Amino acid sequence: MKISYNWLQSFFNKKLPAVEKLAELLTMHSFETEVIGKDNSDHILDIDVLPNRAHDCLSYNGIAREISVLLGYEFNLVDYSKKLKEDSDKLANELVEVEIKEKELCPRYVARVISDVKIESSPRWIQERLKVCGLRPINNVVDIANYVMLETGQPLHAFDLDKLLSSQSIKKIIVRRANKGEKIVSLDDEKYDLDENILVIADEKNPVCVAGIKGGKGPEIDSKTKRIVLEAANFDSQLIRQGSKQLKLETDASWRFERKIDPNLAEEAIDMIAYLIQDITKGKVLKGIIDVFPKKINSKKINLDIEKVNSLLGIKITKKEIINILKKLGFGIKEAGDKLNVSIPTRRIDVSIQEDLIEEIGRIYGFEKIKGEVPSASLIPPVRNENLIYRNKIRHILINLGFSEAYNYSFVSKEEPVKVANPVSQDQKYMRSNLIVNLLKNVQENKKYFKEVRLFEIGKVFYSAKNNKNKVEEVSRLGGVLSLNEEGDQTQEFYQLKGVVDSLLNKLQISDIWYDDVIEENDLSIPSFCNKNKRAQIKIGNDYLGWIAETDSGVFAFEISFDKLIELATEERIYSSPSKYPSVVRDIAILTNKKTKVVEIMNLINSAGGVLIRDVDLFDIYEGQNIPDSKKSLAFHIIYQSDDHTLVDKEVNDIHQKVIETLKEEGGWEIRE
Amino acid sequence: MLNEIKQKAIEEINQVKNLKELDNLYREYLGKKGEVTSILRSLKDLSEKERKEKGGLANKIKQELENLFKENKLKFTSNSSQEKDWIDVTAPGILPVQGYSHPITLVQNQIEESFQSMGFSVIDGSEIETEHYNFDALNIPKNHPARDLWDTFWLKNLDLLLRTHTSPMQARYMENNNPPLRIIVPGRCFRHEATDASHDVQFYQTEGLMVGKDVSMANFKGIMETFLKDFFGSELKMRLRPGYFPFTEPSFEVDIKGKNGDWLEVMGAGMVHPNVLKLAGYLPNKWQGFAFGVGIDRLAMLKYKIDDIRLFYSNDLRFLKQF
Repeated sequence: MKISYNWLQSFFNKKLPAVEKLAELLTMHSFETEVIGKDNSDHILDIDVLPNRAHDCLSYNGIAREISVLLGYEFNLVDYSKKLKEDSDKLANELVEVEIKEKELCPRYVARVISDVKIESSPRWIQERLKVCGLRPINNVVDIANYVMLETGQPLHAFDLDKLLSSQSIKKIIVRRANKGEKIVSLDDEKYDLDENILVIADEKNPVCVAGIKGGKGPEIDSKTKRIVLEAANFDSQLIRQGSKQLKLETDASWRFERKIDPNLAEEAIDMIAYLIQDITKGKVLKGIIDVFPKKINSKKINLDIEKVNSLLGIKITKKEIINILKKLGFGIKEAGDKLNVSIPTRRIDVSIQEDLIEEIGRIYGFEKIKGEVPSASLIPPVRNENLIYRNKIRHILINLGFSEAYNYSFVSKEEPVKVANPVSQDQKYMRSNLIVNLLKNVQENKKYFKEVRLFEIGKVFYSAKNNKNKVEEVSRLGGVLSLNEEGDQTQEFYQLKGVVDSLLNKLQISDIWYDDVIEENDLSIPSFCNKNKRAQIKIGNDYLGWIAETDSGVFAFEISFDKLIELATEERIYSSPSKYPSVVRDIAILTNKKTKVVEIMNLINSAGGVLIRDVDLFDIYEGQNIPDSKKSLAFHIIYQSDDHTLVDKEVNDIHQKVIETLKEEGGWEIRE
Repeated sequence: MLNEIKQKAIEEINQVKNLKELDNLYREYLGKKGEVTSILRSLKDLSEKERKEKGGLANKIKQELENLFKENKLKFTSNSSQEKDWIDVTAPGILPVQGYSHPITLVQNQIEESFQSMGFSVIDGSEIETEHYNFDALNIPKNHPARDLWDTFWLKNLDLLLRTHTSPMQARYMENNNPPLRIIVPGRCFRHEATDASHDVQFYQTEGLMVGKDVSMANFKGIMETFLKDFFGSELKMRLRPGYFPFTEPSFEVDIKGKNGDWLEVMGAGMVHPNVLKLAGYLPNKWQGFAFGVGIDRLAMLKYKIDDIRLFYSNDLRFLKQF
């Protein structure tokens, strides 16, 4: 809210501090305030009134009251009802009658009538103050209405009495819901379609004003206007909020009403506007105030526990200081032992419980005076979060393997099961169901600058829940992508990525890993953008852990269920000492069909060789010259070792021979030694 | 004449460029047919007196030249061994394949470590939430204008939303755990708004909650000072000023002082609103505490001087390789 420094000064006899100092004071105790500019001899402050204080502080009076408390300056509201001189001959209620059809939506409607007004430009001092606050001067009556709104926070409206349609001499103002199909043209010539969600002020025939939002063209004040009706009303905040949204019309009035203001404000505002119009236009204020206010608002009472103030703020403030602060803010105090019975001014709609009062005491006392104190509560060690520990461990492992961590948007452009109702862009219409789609985009972008790209991401993906329609399954995944130099053998990328997965699982002490390429045609565990010939499910025993595959962009990727990974991972290890006895290495070359799987051969070697085989190591795969087209040659080192004796030649020869025989007989392969 | 030969030899030795030239020169002077050798050999033809005179000088010169050759030879041979062994230590090292952490991970880890050392447990929460936990349980009723403070993504055909803050975990945690408690909840949140250098549709936040019999605003200040000094260094200055959140009362904003003297807002905080305690099943007259929400992206931007929040989700390796 823009506020003029000079206008603020006019509320006080004492000089205000320099503008920067004042801004700082307000920032520390009330609202964040910035000095945003200079206008001739005035400074403009931008005060960010907090939402809970919009009830009483979207006004000069509100801000001045804050300042008076902070500086200890005298501040008293002018009582305009005493300054006003009513015309004793004519009664306002002989000319105007107000009928409220929706009492819940319009808790109060106050009106006054002024005759013999002369419409012209408003005085310069009013015009200047309006301009500083961003309002455009129009004519004296409208400008004064705006001026009084800025000063009091009460939106006001003026009608040309003679333009209100009526069947009798007394003009009727009706507060009612609009009928569907009714229309109104606003003061700035915009046409609005109304319906029963919109409250209007109407004469006997037509809506003349969208209540609390915008005046209508009908009874507009113009140069010929002689008699005016002034309105200071109070409207339900939700009604105004919805109406303003529906009509897409936000005004200074709607902004204040939808934040809820005190109905008691209407009376002081109507007297102020009547006084100013009388003073400036020399109009005659008719006797009496028309006031429809069926349910009076009384001051709330709250019990405040002194002990609670100190315990919540962590300070030692005396009862006397507390009383002093609350009184300055306008609260009424009755002492009752250790408690205070506090009565709340009706403008302070925000204060309804003890803690609200403690906030008031705290901010006026000064948050800066509260001394930081590390709690002395008994030390409870934090609960161990396995997720967190393994998440960080997995990150370290992958980073050490050359992968960088990515954070992608949770949104994707292509259709997925979970859809966003109100996306901000076409690219972000769906919730991701895997991490890979976005990672592949990252690869593509990075390939402009880097030959090799290795990325991983840990994040949530989303599915519709199977059993419950109104639920979404949110699961954590670990995804990785690898893209190397394009000239190289693409197959190598697969084995490199597989090596990364193996290494990760090994370091997490997960064994029994195998890669299953027997996948049903309609299997949904691997995304459809993967190559059906180059894909495998990663399995641990019988459990599905994730997948690894070539994607349709030729980049290799893997995705693993993060929760499953953590469930299987363990930090436990048992040390086994290396054998004291030497090992013996024998090499073996096997000629097989191209489609024979390495894992089959290794399994056979291991089962034939038994416990003395320490390791089987594939060191060469050869296809080409000297080998038939349909065949390949695989060469293995077989390492034999015992934990309790030195192996003798004969022993090794016997086992190795058994391995060879088994490979020939059970495998049906040719052995080349 | 002998002295002339010596002078000539010294001059020539000094001009020699390699071992081979030096060997040739040696042969010229001190070889079997070398100049000095011939003179020495010719001594036998002289008288005893002359032999003594000339011989002493010749032998002295021979010794000098021998030494000189030795010295120079050493120079070349030691040089040649350097040539073989020498490496250019300024040539670039061969880098192992490098991976890098994401800056948000780095900052989140630091936050977690700092708060864990103060007895806070780290709790996870879900990114999809119900209206109840995201708003109602936090004292933000339907149609309250305060809801406008949180622009929300809703899911199509579902009564669900993407959490706009990590605060729903306050209610969820309190419903399932008894006080006293200290937790932080880091995680991804979403906001339905136009993006620019300081706003994005998603961001990371850490919720903090401490509830006990007498947990006070002074305690919040103590904890937060410890954390911020941990994070930004012991020189850090912070201040609290009034704020507004429906789920805390009193509410305050936390600012830190930047290098240029300006105050920068880093988080919102407050004392847990009695309605939030009540809705979670706690007795508000028995328990009290503080809560805060700090933007992890924001802290990372301040710490690493990153000027655009969208860089965090670009996954540009030119960016990532700096962390």
